[in-house]
Amino acid sequence: MPYGLSRACLAIGLACSLSSLVFACTSEKEAIAPSKALFEFAKPTNFPEPIYTFESNPITEEGFRLGRKLFFDPILSSDGSVSCNNCHIQSNAFADAQQHPFSVGVDNRIGKRNAPPLMNLAFMKEFFWDGGVTHLDFVPINAIESDVEMNETLAEVIKKLNAHPEYPMLFEEVFGSEEVTSPFMLQALSQFMLMLVSADTRYDRFQRGVGEELSTEESIGLQLFKEKCANCHQGELFSDFSYRNNGIGTTDKDPGRSAITDTESDFGKFRVPSLRNVALTAPYMHNAKFATLEEVMDHYDRGVVDSPTLDPILKNEGILGISISEDEKKSIIAFLRTLTDHAFRLDSRFQNP
Amino acid sequence: MKYLNLLMVALTISFIACNEEENDVPIVATETGSLKVQFDHRVGKAEMKLSEEGSTTYAYTDAKGQQFNLTRFGYYVSKIKLEGPNGELYEDEMKVGASAEDVKGYYHVLESDAASQFITLKGVPSGKYNKVTFTLGVDEDGMKDGAVGGVLDPAEGAWFWNWNAGYIGFIMEGASPDSPQEEVDGGGFKIYANSFAIHVGGWKEVEPLEGQPKKFTNNVKVLTLDFDADITVSPKLGPKAHIIVDALKILDRGEVDFSTTYAVHSPVLGKPIAEQLSGAFILDHTHQ
Ligand code: HEC
Ligand code: HEC
Repeated sequence: MPYGLSRACLAIGLACSLSSLVFACTSEKEAIAPSKALFEFAKPTNFPEPIYTFESNPITEEGFRLGRKLFFDPILSSDGSVSCNNCHIQSNAFADAQQHPFSVGVDNRIGKRNAPPLMNLAFMKEFFWDGGVTHLDFVPINAIESDVEMNETLAEVIKKLNAHPEYPMLFEEVFGSEEVTSPFMLQALSQFMLMLVSADTRYDRFQRGVGEELSTEESIGLQLFKEKCANCHQGELFSDFSYRNNGIGTTDKDPGRSAITDTESDFGKFRVPSLRNVALTAPYMHNAKFATLEEVMDHYDRGVVDSPTLDPILKNEGILGISISEDEKKSIIAFLRTLTDHAFRLDSRFQNP
Repeated sequence: MKYLNLLMVALTISFIACNEEENDVPIVATETGSLKVQFDHRVGKAEMKLSEEGSTTYAYTDAKGQQFNLTRFGYYVSKIKLEGPNGELYEDEMKVGASAEDVKGYYHVLESDAASQFITLKGVPSGKYNKVTFTLGVDEDGMKDGAVGGVLDPAEGAWFWNWNAGYIGFIMEGASPDSPQEEVDGGGFKIYANSFAIHVGGWKEVEPLEGQPKKFTNNVKVLTLDFDADITVSPKLGPKAHIIVDALKILDRGEVDFSTTYAVHSPVLGKPIAEQLSGAFILDHTHQ
């Protein structure tokens, strides 16, 4: 048989090599992380293609480890008291602790927005609630230099890392340069954060048909979610990553997307957040307006505030909000809880070693 | 489909390559030379001289009669291109990467750094040239790969906005008695009383959907300056193009009033300044 196959290949050599090429590429990309490749980025089968520019920053095990060390190291803050992990906690899918509706930085200064979870960042085209940052590498500069977060300058951090007993060696190992520079530091942090792929929920296993069933209530919730929520919280990442005003009320204190687009019609719009791990990421909304998912449901049902930029989906035929009965709310919440990835919360790769 | 295309390209390339061999086309070693571009900063007729931050001595006066001094002045130049009357073309190599040595074609021209005001273009094919084109600011190509080094590294003095990520393409800072800026001591940084800061950035160019307004403010400008005469580049001749940048033209043509324009830190606020930049870069003369 192999003989016959190779004969055929000889005859149509071109087509064969072509198809094997295509095959090789797709099969590699679609693989679910095999256990030996713990430090390789793998796209979950039900996810879209990643957006991150891996060509300029390929992930290596050493790079991931270096990024992880940096992520947990308060050396990145001005007074050595705050690390990324202060506001992005693994057990909350790397969102902030519940008691911190607004992130707290050095000197306990308070920020103005709720820290979002860090997960599936490779699939996102823009970052922050207003999408002001267009590449994952640039995100940490904000945290480091923000006077309400880490209150440090990038140049100062680089100086400290260069003077550190271990870091120069580690950077040499990963990037071939003993001199620590900011692009290498940012790339290392990205390597760690890119690996924070969360796609192992009960919902995912149900989707992939690997023996998971949803309860009746959860299935009803999924159906309702598709009807009432999925036009914004779309697809397998549960966001279309557009910017919308979902009626929580607009304020000049935080104009949201319009500060980035310089377009008045974007006033009060914020990124549609992914709802993966949503049961872990309370409080909710950019301004931490709601403490529980029940409150969020009540908001969509009868709390939607009208304003000039309110999303038209939430003002259908002049009626504010989306009508949801009490039973339906329970079902939707039951469904949202199937989006919790317990393996992700406990994954030892993401812990401070 | 992508792979098929790739294959076709590969086939075509090898086909062309074979062809060339068969025809035995002699490879002409094109001669090259260099060309120097000099940026010379002025305030009207006066040479630009920076003052110490916090200085209350005002050397310059604008058309509105407002006195001012300058403490910082500079911009990014990239994508330099030379063209000649007979189709001569030189495009400066553009590249980004995390290592400083991988960053090519981006220049951070600063009044405070005399060396930065001279850009030597090397490997320019011999021939006549009569104009130079360059980009003022850093466009999408400098942003799309993420963190990069060299003159684009914010830890090494690159001008970068964090909150609305992008490079600041042009900066003019100074002080004027007309500026109502109050002193701010930010612990680590200080904003002086009566100072002004004009930061021009914004690079996103997005075509609007039908019926929608055009979003984002793109302040990256492409400038083309004609030479006063054809200049010849050859291995022996290293000509120079002398460009004057007149800060006063920016202020006067932009009708900048320091009593209202003293803290420009967003793309939309920088737009009126960005619109004046092309008129402030003047090709003064060339040396053969
Ligand atoms: C003081 C709390 C705090 C610290 C410390 C902090 N962050 Fe954040 N992080 C936030 C907040 C708040 C936001 C949301 C900001 C916004 O949308 O304007 C955020 C957003 C992010 C995002 C974007 C996520 C998204 O979905 O768009 C990433 C990535 C991130 N942080 C990574 C980091 C890294 C890496 C560090 C360490 C260098 C860090 N953060 C340190 C509070 C913090
Ligand atoms: C019109 C689009 C739209 C629809 C429809 C919509 N949402 Fe949202 N949702 C958003 C936006 C935008 C935000 C973020 C708003 C903000 O913070 O300013 C959001 C935020 C949330 C959050 C908070 C997440 C977090 O991490 O803070 C939850 C939970 C949520 N939505 C659930 C739902 C559910 C359940 C439904 C269906 C009943 C729904 N949404 C329908 C646009 C929408």
